[in-house]
Amino acid sequence: MKLFRGFSAILYKEFISMLRDPTTLFFMLIPPMIQMIAFGFALDNDVKNMGLIVYDQAHTVESRQLVDRFVNTETFKVVGRVNSVAEMESEIRKGHAYAALEIPPDFSRNLRAGRSATVQLAIDGSNSTTALQALNTGAAVTMRDSIAQLLRESGRSNIPIEVRPQMLFNPAMKSPNFFIPGVIGLVLQMATLFTTAMAIVRERERGTLEQLLVSPVSRWGLMMGKLIPYFCLGSAMAALLLLIMRLVFNVPIAGSLFGLAVSVLVYVFTLLSIGLLVSTRAENQMQALQMTMALILPSVFFSGFIFPRETMPWIFYAISTVLPATYAIELIRAIVLRGATFAEYWPSLAILSLMAAAVFSFCAARFKRKIG
Amino acid sequence: MAEPMIECEGLTKRFGDFTAVDNVSFNVEPGAIFGFLGPNGSGKSTVIRMLCGILEPSGGTARIGGLDVVEQTDVLKESIGYMSQKFSLYDELTVEENLRFYGKLYGLRREALRKRFDELLTLTHLEPYLDRRAALLSGGWRQRLAMACALMHEPRVLFLDEPTAGIDPVARRELWDLLFEFSGRGMTLFVTTHYMDEAERCSNVGYIYLSKLIVCGVPDELKMLPEVNPPGTRRIDVTCEHVTLGLQTLRHRAGISAATVFGQSMHLLVDDAVSDERIRGYLAEAGIRDVDLRPISPSLEDVFVALTAKHGGGTE
Repeated sequence: MKLFRGFSAILYKEFISMLRDPTTLFFMLIPPMIQMIAFGFALDNDVKNMGLIVYDQAHTVESRQLVDRFVNTETFKVVGRVNSVAEMESEIRKGHAYAALEIPPDFSRNLRAGRSATVQLAIDGSNSTTALQALNTGAAVTMRDSIAQLLRESGRSNIPIEVRPQMLFNPAMKSPNFFIPGVIGLVLQMATLFTTAMAIVRERERGTLEQLLVSPVSRWGLMMGKLIPYFCLGSAMAALLLLIMRLVFNVPIAGSLFGLAVSVLVYVFTLLSIGLLVSTRAENQMQALQMTMALILPSVFFSGFIFPRETMPWIFYAISTVLPATYAIELIRAIVLRGATFAEYWPSLAILSLMAAAVFSFCAARFKRKIG
Repeated sequence: MAEPMIECEGLTKRFGDFTAVDNVSFNVEPGAIFGFLGPNGSGKSTVIRMLCGILEPSGGTARIGGLDVVEQTDVLKESIGYMSQKFSLYDELTVEENLRFYGKLYGLRREALRKRFDELLTLTHLEPYLDRRAALLSGGWRQRLAMACALMHEPRVLFLDEPTAGIDPVARRELWDLLFEFSGRGMTLFVTTHYMDEAERCSNVGYIYLSKLIVCGVPDELKMLPEVNPPGTRRIDVTCEHVTLGLQTLRHRAGISAATVFGQSMHLLVDDAVSDERIRGYLAEAGIRDVDLRPISPSLEDVFVALTAKHGGGTE
């Protein structure tokens, strides 16, 4: 018991302090929930009902059918009709529409005569996501029409090659399902890191650290006693976030709940250990805050939360490999969305566990029981 | 004589180029109340921190109860108590919780904890405030609580860093009564202070100035030092009307080497060649009559002033 000497005393005090500090409790429980709900709704990049401008010079049955097929995809909705190319472009520049469809006067004539009928689809390329979606939908709609016509003309009843896609996971292809696990990873990180990041440095500022150092408390006892109360709080928060994921965003958990719980707890422990490490290095709370921010920002960009890690330049990929959020997000996605089993997800969990053990040990072993 | 409780030998602490504590050596006997004096920034707190094992000395050795403060820190910590300058308490904890926390920290279990808790309550009269948050205590009670916390584990040596800074005179008096009681029970006390009257109460005093310990000993013996009482001089107390005017009159006269006002009187260090009648004469020239002269012995303040001057100090 010598190794953890003073643990129960610190635990006793930290629990009381934590429960008597409504500000920390509030900031640990409420903003994460709000952040999660806000992020979850905002990060929906399923493109639907994009504004489409129509410049129909043909005014024929065929031209109207073509516009209807664009609208029937639900990707587009007609937001205006114009009478010149200049107007068409101006509407897009104004941001009223993402795309414009120009149907030339000879559209139906060419079609009926068996010539190639050309239509022009002008797309706002400034937003690559919507542009890609518009391009794909436009191409698919016209391609399908063309194939149907070709089949009629050739007398064949089937097309030469047919793809039958099967969505294995997230069959509805809802983007919240993909983002929500990532949001959980990031939100947890923001809220938990701060709590322990302040833990030691606050005592240093108040002068109580000196009092602790004079006592025979061991460094492991001190660190563990500081960490556990926030671990309980962090776990409660994680449970809340998973509940929101399940109930508010209706994301089903495909894999084992136990595996998910273990992964999230290991992640919380890692984050709290990093917070402690910050706290033992920082000289004041301001510094601790800045150090924490410096850790949080890279996670947003490099953890694979938004951009796939594999397409990153090597330097960012390297950064991503040392971020706990990378592994946590990977684990949550694997278990929640893909229903991965332990045999499939264990490498990420092993790396995360190693990180937790290494950071905590480093933090305790290197903590100087001296001042100055 | 018993083995000293605290032994310092050439204790030194350097922060970069700055020497905060320079070759300090002294001993403190068991049960003594050792008063450690010196101006702000002279190195008092640094010495205490080294003795408590939370600051590594740059040189020299220190032992408490025979335990080396560097090599045997962990064992040593069991037997020392420390009350820092700011009465560092956990503000969000109640009085009772603060005491329990420190008890647990030193490994006290249920029975022992309860017993010690009760003892300290009796001693410090903190019962009425048990459920009060430490943040809401006044200075005097904070100080009592901080002391009780430092005493939960019954240390053999208690270090108090300016325990009476910023508290009212009644609380100050009561604190000293407690300190005498602890001392009577055999506890060794190491107290830093700015107050000369507190220094007078100590069984031993040390005076640190510009990082160096310039004097250390029993107050009454220090007052006999030749540096304090240069041969051929005497100290006298002069009570008269218009003391300030009197001081101006006497200050620069030949044969009067120190003159300080003490309330309604002034203290002079006078050459034996200058007779009492001559002083009365000087004052009469300035129109001051009803002069009462009597010989006095030096105070500790006189001792420190004399020794500071000798070490090239003083603010003038």
